[in-house]
Amino acid sequence: MSKVDPEKLMVKAEKLTKLSFTRWTADWKSAVVLYEQAANEFRATRNDEKAKIAFEKASKCHEMISQPWDAAKHLESAGSLAKQLGEWNEVLDFFRRASELYSECGRAQPASDALAKGARLLAEVNPEEAIRLFNDACAILEEDGKEQMAFDLYRDATEVYIKLERYTDAASLLLRWGLAADHCKAVNSQCKAYLGAILVYLYTHDFKQAEKCYNDCSQIDAFLSSDQGRCSSKLLAAYEEGDAEEIKRICLSSAISHLDHMIIRLARKLPTGDLTSLRAKDAEEEALDEDDLT
Amino acid sequence: MSVIDILTRVDAICKKYDKYDVDKQRDLNVSGTMPSPAYSSMWRTTSRERFRCSFSSACLSSELASKEKNRASAVAMNAEIRRTKARLLEEVPKLQRLALKKVKGVSKEELAARNDLVLALPERIQSIPDGTASAVKQTSRWSASASSSHTEIRVDSTSDGKFESEYFQRTEESNQFRQEYEMRKLKQATGSRLDAIAEGLDTLKNMANDMNEELDRQVPLMDEIDTKVDRATADLKNTNVRLKETVHRMRSSRNFCIDIILLCIILGIAAYLYNVLKN
Repeated sequence: MSKVDPEKLMVKAEKLTKLSFTRWTADWKSAVVLYEQAANEFRATRNDEKAKIAFEKASKCHEMISQPWDAAKHLESAGSLAKQLGEWNEVLDFFRRASELYSECGRAQPASDALAKGARLLAEVNPEEAIRLFNDACAILEEDGKEQMAFDLYRDATEVYIKLERYTDAASLLLRWGLAADHCKAVNSQCKAYLGAILVYLYTHDFKQAEKCYNDCSQIDAFLSSDQGRCSSKLLAAYEEGDAEEIKRICLSSAISHLDHMIIRLARKLPTGDLTSLRAKDAEEEALDEDDLT
Repeated sequence: MSVIDILTRVDAICKKYDKYDVDKQRDLNVSGTMPSPAYSSMWRTTSRERFRCSFSSACLSSELASKEKNRASAVAMNAEIRRTKARLLEEVPKLQRLALKKVKGVSKEELAARNDLVLALPERIQSIPDGTASAVKQTSRWSASASSSHTEIRVDSTSDGKFESEYFQRTEESNQFRQEYEMRKLKQATGSRLDAIAEGLDTLKNMANDMNEELDRQVPLMDEIDTKVDRATADLKNTNVRLKETVHRMRSSRNFCIDIILLCIILGIAAYLYNVLKN
């Protein structure tokens, strides 16, 4: 292939797509070929801006000739180029559109992959959007019944939540993860997700919530009889007794060391806050109960 | 099971059945080779004879032990010697009391001399070499071999550590040995090695579970790939067959011959026409 000036290609392709007096219908097929060529040339010469535009136009041509798969592929390339250029809105748009096109093809996995890629690229800059993308990706997979693929997404989304210090959201996401694991009978992941949720609640020093969470999760036999269940009951008992040394020891145990690293980081910082205040609150409550009984 | 355990049990059993030991009884009744005729009048008691016999036998055994090549039996003999020494030390106070008793026919000097002798006895007893200085270290090393040589004795591990004084008299060597044993046992109970093994097993279990889930995840994907590839293969086979047929039809030899014949006929007609026209 002789080296053709990509600019010239772009101009030629433009002419093909523009409707004019002599041209009644746009010739998308040939235009798309030219656009693809031009885009590859631009990418090779590291001209990201022009390459991005070329990919975008190529994708539009594909849409016109109803080839959503190729269109989506080009949009993904355009999206990664946009990320290099730092145009975050465009990144978001491109990946969302790509995901929609994949869904049009009826392929859920690539659709959620596209959203996940976009979310990972946006995680640093726009975490809110990233979380939304992750949630949508998980939803797509769950609709399709492929929850197992969603584990990685849940893990990344939890990481973003913890970075944002939105711990209650992180904990609820972990519980959703546990639910997804339950659907596909991944008992180990389920128990690990539940233990992670309890740890996050304890990190926010919300002992009541942690206990409630433990009680809810104990309804599930698999969790109750698992290592993680035992570990969490020991941890809660240590919290009730206010034994900081015991808590530290449990957090160094193997059940917790096999969780995801960001949760281990939280666990190592336990116990947060004052343990005696928990006990005082419990004692008060007990006194009230006794009064009620008499 | 450490050596000291086995040995103490052996000692206990031997002591229990001492009265059935014919050789030993004979020894007790025969007067030993202990020197000092000054004692002869006074010491005509079974305790003295027993003492003398034990003492001599202890000296004898210590000699044998030092010559003994087989380490396990050397250890056993040394332990026996230690036991004997302990017993002898026990009897020294009795002798002391006897020495101080005033018996007629014994002068005051003799009495004093006897007292001194009695006092010197413990030292003599201690000086009987029983190889404890080096034995402590060595027995710990030989514990495996020693215990294997005592396999006929059944050891009861549940009563470990309960060494009551009726089993043996404590000497500092045995104390030291026992301390070492207890330290070792404590270390094993806190299980630094067992802990490491447990942790390794936990990691393995976690990894195995994760691998299990990953494989479960990949099974439907593989099935999908299988179906798709089967479909693609069928398509390809189909296409190949059709292509072969087409090419065959285009290039079949019969058609080829007909083509050549027709070509020759046309050339012939053209040549004839050319000739006609030329003329």
